[in-house]
Amino acid sequence: MTTPQPFGVRARLWSRRPEVRGIFLIWAVLTALLCAFAFVPSRIMGPAASPTMDAVKSTMTVFTIAAAPVAAFVWAVALYSLLRWRHRGSGPPEDARPSMRSNRPATAVWLVVSSVLCVFLLVWGLAEMQSVSRASAAQPLVVDVTGQQWVWTFSYPAQGKVESDQLYLPVNRPVVFHVTSNDVIHSFWVVQMGIKVDANPGMTTTTNVTPNKLGTFDVRCAELCGLLHADMETTVHVVDASAFRSWVVENGGHV
Amino acid sequence: MRRLNLGTAVAGGLVVGYLAWYLAHHFLQTDKASTSDQVTLITSAGWALGFLIGIGAFHGPLTWLSGRDQSHEDETFLAGKGQGVGRYFRFTTDHKVVGIQYLVITMVLLAVGGTLAMMIRTNLITPHSGFLSPQTYNSVVGLHGLTMILATIIMVTGPFGNFIVPLMIGARDMAFPRLNALSLWLLVALVPVLFSAAFMGGIPTGWSGYAPLSDQAPPGMDAYLMAIILFALSSAIAGANITTTILTMRARGMTWNRTPIFVWGVMASVGLAIPAFPMFMSSMVLLGVDRTVGGQFYVASGGGNPWLYSNLFWLMGHPEVYVIVLPAVVALMELTPVFSRKPLFNYNAAVLGIVGIVGLSIMVWAHHMYASGWAPALNGPFMLTTELISIPTGVIFLVILGTMWRGRIWTTLPMMATYAMLWNFIIGGVTGIYVSDVPADYALHGSMFVTAHFHYTLMGAGLTGAIGALAYWFPKMTGRMLERGPGLVSFWLVQIGFNVTFLGMFAVGLAGQPRRVVHYDPAFGVGNTVSSIGAYVIGLGMLVLLYAVVVSWRHGEVAPANPWGAKTLEWTVPNPIPLENFEVLPVVVADPYGYGEGDVPGLVPAPGVPVPREPQPAEVGATGDGPDPLAAAGGPLTGDDASQGTGRELQ
Amino acid sequence: MQLRRAAVSLAAVVGGAAAVLAITAFSLSGHGPNASPLAATTVGTASSPVGTLSHATLALATYPDSMAGEHGASGGAHPSWVSYGPSTNLHVPAHALVTVTIRQYDSGAAITNPWFAQAHGTVGGTMTVDGKETKAIDPEHVGHTWTVHAAPGNQDPLFVSVPLMAVADNAPTDAATGYPTQPHVITFSFVTHGPGTYVWNCEYPCGDGYYAKFGGPMGTMGYMSGSLTVG
Repeated sequence: MTTPQPFGVRARLWSRRPEVRGIFLIWAVLTALLCAFAFVPSRIMGPAASPTMDAVKSTMTVFTIAAAPVAAFVWAVALYSLLRWRHRGSGPPEDARPSMRSNRPATAVWLVVSSVLCVFLLVWGLAEMQSVSRASAAQPLVVDVTGQQWVWTFSYPAQGKVESDQLYLPVNRPVVFHVTSNDVIHSFWVVQMGIKVDANPGMTTTTNVTPNKLGTFDVRCAELCGLLHADMETTVHVVDASAFRSWVVENGGHV
Repeated sequence: MRRLNLGTAVAGGLVVGYLAWYLAHHFLQTDKASTSDQVTLITSAGWALGFLIGIGAFHGPLTWLSGRDQSHEDETFLAGKGQGVGRYFRFTTDHKVVGIQYLVITMVLLAVGGTLAMMIRTNLITPHSGFLSPQTYNSVVGLHGLTMILATIIMVTGPFGNFIVPLMIGARDMAFPRLNALSLWLLVALVPVLFSAAFMGGIPTGWSGYAPLSDQAPPGMDAYLMAIILFALSSAIAGANITTTILTMRARGMTWNRTPIFVWGVMASVGLAIPAFPMFMSSMVLLGVDRTVGGQFYVASGGGNPWLYSNLFWLMGHPEVYVIVLPAVVALMELTPVFSRKPLFNYNAAVLGIVGIVGLSIMVWAHHMYASGWAPALNGPFMLTTELISIPTGVIFLVILGTMWRGRIWTTLPMMATYAMLWNFIIGGVTGIYVSDVPADYALHGSMFVTAHFHYTLMGAGLTGAIGALAYWFPKMTGRMLERGPGLVSFWLVQIGFNVTFLGMFAVGLAGQPRRVVHYDPAFGVGNTVSSIGAYVIGLGMLVLLYAVVVSWRHGEVAPANPWGAKTLEWTVPNPIPLENFEVLPVVVADPYGYGEGDVPGLVPAPGVPVPREPQPAEVGATGDGPDPLAAAGGPLTGDDASQGTGRELQ
Repeated sequence: MQLRRAAVSLAAVVGGAAAVLAITAFSLSGHGPNASPLAATTVGTASSPVGTLSHATLALATYPDSMAGEHGASGGAHPSWVSYGPSTNLHVPAHALVTVTIRQYDSGAAITNPWFAQAHGTVGGTMTVDGKETKAIDPEHVGHTWTVHAAPGNQDPLFVSVPLMAVADNAPTDAATGYPTQPHVITFSFVTHGPGTYVWNCEYPCGDGYYAKFGGPMGTMGYMSGSLTVG
């Protein structure tokens, strides 16, 4: 048994091995491809209508980039093994040598990397939750949302007796939704604003958002609620403050 | 007892079911809607009872009650000795027969569930196809879901857990052979109950059966809940049986770190099912009380709470995901060393990975309820436990990759399934971390994205693993090789079709299409059409697989006892396998992964195989009155030092 | 051997296809689309808030059972379920003024969401009940509602909801049919836009015996729910 070579020498020898180089190459290419792909999910989600949706979209991108090297590594090893070490034949090949039972550094690196990634996901998620829930801080507009089979109705308790089948919101003003149901569980989903909370019978749940884009967006029901679940949809109109005021007055309310 | 078979079981079920219906129909006089619920429940319970009487499930306990016990002739008859094909249609206790019965019923359930999936995708091929009416669509979605959940729960632990595990651990049968048959026939009894739901107004709730929508549903819901109660009984019995078998009946010398990893996987799966399914069963009992006598458990206006149901459901629902995925992935882990000709990489880490997943999986249920509004303060903690699962799951990937590293990759059908799993499960896992993130889940929950995500895990990893396991153990279970040609065609059709289907579904989910909708915004049209085309390709591929299985089973090339050169014990028994598996019980001196460790053959054929061999000392050792087999093996092979074992197994 | 394989494969494919067809045929026969579409009758032109449009009329009725609707004289599978008639599969022209007359033969009680005791989306936001024009009825005496809303899609939005006043429980009934001799007659008009597929349903919980009274006839197409095709 010779004395082990210093770590630097061993690392250099290891990095020159053909399988290490081959897998590194495939890994680098796949990682680059996946990082380029990382921007696709958020594009498919469409333009955001609230800071909450912006946060969700950046989460999709960042998580994809964080996962890219891991996924690329798994696929690189799999692909390389198939290209280099494949046995073609109808009978079992010879046993591979050297027979390797384990590798402590490999296991340790793997555990450390996956733990670090896990902690990163958690910290990112907690920070994101914090930023999303802060939106309700200043003088929010309160909207009571009622789900019933298979329509939504919206009422504005601070604006008098205003009630509507469509949702009207002033732009750039925080909104708090108090959501409940008259019958079964529905789920109040404002698609382009990235918010969702179930409407439960007998209970009131809340969610909040600050719409920051003018236009019309979709409210959908995201919990199977029976026969016409697919048709339990309506429209959100995000309008400027004066248009919102005049809509409220037109519908018999006060500002 | 000797005249009872599937025919008498069906007759018994029909007679008792009709009797129950008649009595219930004529003696229950309350308000109309709940009367039909009571009648449905009583009738389906009567059917199940009659079916079990007709199959002879109670013969043993009744003879015992009468003061006798079963004679030796009774026992061998029950085990199916000398009955030919008929034993597959009886209450047969032989674990090999039960394994084949499970395989067939899994294939039947997959075929029905797959047909329902084709109906769903046909309906969604255009935005407003009108192919199915809304209530038919909702029922089809629910029945597809539950059928596939039942099929995937049993698809590995049923056929392979029953057929292979006793062979793998060197046992002659399961610990409780009659319970084994009982669990199988309970499963058979519930299948007609489940599908009768389609004829009784259907189930409008999807398979998750969320209350209070389930309180409102037509009598089909009663059939659904009775089917789940029967399934929970069946899985509890099977789980107790398989865990007891593994805990107590492993061969001499098979210490915990010489136990094949698949045995760990099966035990983890059925062990996890033992606490999980009673949750589902009790939630369904409460629902039955709600529906039949106004129990109000889930009715807010009556003092109940719908969140009670969601919690009970997901306390089952998340462990259940691992009940499905774990044994399938671990089966691929078991066969990777065989086709890489290398020992399993880091056996201890593999075991810890499995145990870690089991432990964490019972602490993550409320990540399905981030958006429910229930206890928002718990969203952070549940995000933590959910994301922690990525660590033991990563370990399982490491074990498979480490085993492949510098191996000799023999690309047979089972090994191809491992590669497909590595591709699919990574996608399923990465999309899992998006939805584990609370704000991202607010945007994605209840959308097609979630549907695509869990199909990537349950189908991409789970079903792919089960197909790999079928290809791997097919020669042992049927005595014939699975034909490679149609197997390959099926593999590529299913895998390509699968990825096309669910990548399309990811896209429409991200764009905002809700789950379980009968029609949708035309903006999602392209993704849905792509998905439907992909689904047809999967369907075609599964038909080819069915063809491959049927043809190979009947006309395939006769398999040698150990076609893959594997080292686990099931390959030491001859084909066809004798009734009691091992003439002499084997003694294990090393773990079964000693590939490339010395020139000692890893495997010694069992008696009856015409291979020239030297007499083995263990043949006397195993009976307990010969020399110590460990000493006879000639080395200081201590049980805990598997990494230095020479890879020998004696018998 | 080859022949046998071909036969087995053919049998597998044909068997699979047959299973699909059989299940599909079963499901369609049980809960298929409504048998007979009811098209609105065009009666010339009329002036509307958006100018002169072609004018169509539609006559519907609600019954306390299923004996008079689309389920035939025997009442179909559930004769006791409340229903709309003569059909729930409605067709109206696009870009038209549609005047609907509904004869309400059923009784009722308080509605869970009083907003649906008002008329919404009709011309002028009004309706006439037995000849009297009004914007709302007493939420304590609602029999049913006729509520149209959009199915998902890029079609023009359409939302019309009209409450139908309940017939008194002690109203005199016709000896032959068992229905009240004097139904309430509710008339209203709405303007359709471009072609599209919509659904309508009743928002008054009338599925007696089911949770929230929204099961049974409320949870099944062809009773208290249906489709509205514009165009």
